[in-house]
Amino acid sequence: METGSRTAAGKEMLKLDPRTKLAILITVGIIMMSGKLTGIEYILRLICTCVPFLLLISVKLYKTAVISALILFATVLCEGFVIPNTKGILNLMIMIICGVISRFGPGYICGWYVVRSTSVSEFVTVMERMHFPNIITIPMSVMFRYFPTLKEEYLSIRDAMKMREIGQSIKNPFTYIEYILVPIMMSTSQIANDLSAASLTKGLGAGRKRTHICSIGMTCIDYILIAAMAAMLVIFFVF
Amino acid sequence: MIEFSNVTFSYEAVRRDGENEEAAGVKDLNITVKDGEFLVLTGGSGCGKTTVIRLINGLIPAYYNGEMTGTVTLGGRNIRDMSIYDISGQVGSVFQNPRSQFFNVNTTDEMAFAAENRCLDPDEIKRTIKSTAVSMRIEDLLDRNIFELSGGEKQMVACAGINVLSPEIIVLDEPSSNLDHQAIKKLAGILRSWKEQGKTIIIAEHRLFYLKDLADRMLVMEGGRVTAEFGADKIPELSYERCEELGLRPFVLKEIPFMRKDEKKVCGSIELKDFNFTYKDKMHSISIPELEIPEGSITAVIGNNGAGKSTLVRNICGLEKRCKGIMRFRGKSLKPKGRLHNCYMIMQDVNHQLFTESVLDEVMLSMTDKSLGEDEKAKKAMDILIELGLDAVAEMHPMALSGGQKQRTAIASGLASEKEIIIFDEPTSGLDLHHMKLVADQMKRLKETGKTVFIVTHDYEFILRCCDRIIRVDKGMIGDEYDLNEKTVGKLLDFMNINDGGNENV
Repeated sequence: METGSRTAAGKEMLKLDPRTKLAILITVGIIMMSGKLTGIEYILRLICTCVPFLLLISVKLYKTAVISALILFATVLCEGFVIPNTKGILNLMIMIICGVISRFGPGYICGWYVVRSTSVSEFVTVMERMHFPNIITIPMSVMFRYFPTLKEEYLSIRDAMKMREIGQSIKNPFTYIEYILVPIMMSTSQIANDLSAASLTKGLGAGRKRTHICSIGMTCIDYILIAAMAAMLVIFFVF
Repeated sequence: MIEFSNVTFSYEAVRRDGENEEAAGVKDLNITVKDGEFLVLTGGSGCGKTTVIRLINGLIPAYYNGEMTGTVTLGGRNIRDMSIYDISGQVGSVFQNPRSQFFNVNTTDEMAFAAENRCLDPDEIKRTIKSTAVSMRIEDLLDRNIFELSGGEKQMVACAGINVLSPEIIVLDEPSSNLDHQAIKKLAGILRSWKEQGKTIIIAEHRLFYLKDLADRMLVMEGGRVTAEFGADKIPELSYERCEELGLRPFVLKEIPFMRKDEKKVCGSIELKDFNFTYKDKMHSISIPELEIPEGSITAVIGNNGAGKSTLVRNICGLEKRCKGIMRFRGKSLKPKGRLHNCYMIMQDVNHQLFTESVLDEVMLSMTDKSLGEDEKAKKAMDILIELGLDAVAEMHPMALSGGQKQRTAIASGLASEKEIIIFDEPTSGLDLHHMKLVADQMKRLKETGKTVFIVTHDYEFILRCCDRIIRVDKGMIGDEYDLNEKTVGKLLDFMNINDGGNENV
């Protein structure tokens, strides 16, 4: 699973505006993280559980979609129907396991979807449309590019550790982290240096207007989805 | 026209990653580059050629700080009166490391990036990208994830980005360092088309063979000064011997003599059996039912990008647990885990395998023998460091060393772990003649101590210098394997497909 990359053209069935994606992410995050297990909030939670499934389907990751949907529904249903009927240690265990998965899982999947389905230039375009200053936009857009870089670096470092037969993570967690972090910081700061230099020679000047080749725009579906998200939040907070 | 008059520049501080060597300044430089000229800058590491490039594309003084006297003018304007944004419209840059020159993740976005920054009309940009891709025959590289591309493909994307904006001046800083011969050929083709369009091209490079028919003029630099100059009429006369004298990589690879006489002593062999492996992305795989490699020799693993060279050595090394293959080595049958105990790989980017705070610690970290005390370990480590000429820097932080010293530190830790098979992944990429020779000598020393060495490489000159055996990987299978001697040199040269000096138009 690659993060930080837009899927190639034609791979997405539904192209959402990045603002819609953010609205979905925030709504699902809030409702799943803090929703109660009874009444209207529980129904909202059930609805939100479907969202990751639909998003994954829209980027054609059918297998991941089905598996994650099964897990998420199982945990949410457990919370609704099993937890009230159990007691003691069993109750506690189910509550902790289901709680962690159902509260963090959907938000995680939505976040992953946002990063994966939005290209750097789409992100920059939208941030500019929303009148964010460059000082915020540019570092954040570089972050997008950094996820896959970090992954590449991490994998090579892990290989190097295997060859040295050092840093077994279980025996010595702190040494392990040190051995991973030191080379990562060194090589990423080098990459960041080169990257800034390269961007400067391509005319990424502060405070200047840019044009964009990506077409970003709110469609009918975007408005419907944003309205739906707003409605859910209103219900969630009012009732 | 670009004009340097009495330019002296020195960098303000030594960079902590030890690249001060590479980034040495320039002294009293007087260079005039005419419009439409193809100028090659060459010379050993630290000769100042990168600084010249940076003075032209505006990174000096905008990004790199230092002290500068004299003037550099672009088309009559002093660069000090221009912002880097102004310069970036006139000068396009291609950098050495394809990994770190892209701002975007998507290739099409990256090609558009410079043009977007100049506020060109989006529809116009899209049209230009399309026509550029067609003329460069890289339609298949559009709308891809940068992280899935090979080094050669990334350099193609960088060149395409320049074509979209089409500046009058193009500077390139060692663009071929990470490329195989096929990719270099493509690069030469692009350079040719730029030359035909009348662009002014300034290229800093160690590997000269692909520039033979392109260069109008070549400047050899040393210690920040120009020490020799050759016009288009003189470049074809530069023989292998003359290049060697000047400390340069040769212009014509065919001329490199094969001069090794060392008798080969084969004491045993390493056998690989059933090396079948496919990555999860199903893109790269190898299938090698049987392969025999003489023990105690230096084997070059060659092949085009994506042929499976890295996959093969990763499997030999035991880094892929799912590989069911067996390696027979000194009477033992080794599975991946066992191979990890016996093999050590020096990666292309050695920064990934240096973990500790001093060179000595780095070497001691590899000594897993519990019967040794700390003092004994330190003594043994020092012996290894002396052998590799690293004793003077034993207390330094590995990250403060030069590239070559880092590589030797990694070798030292491989030696300390007493592994018998040492694998190198492109150890000479981006090295000048002098440093390449040092690495070749290092390989020979490893062989003398009885180690078996594998080298993944594209460097023909380097292979001639030290390798005994060639394994050519093709589409995940062994395409060819032979001992390197007078008779087989021609075969190797044919594969490298460079008899023509890389002047074929692609």
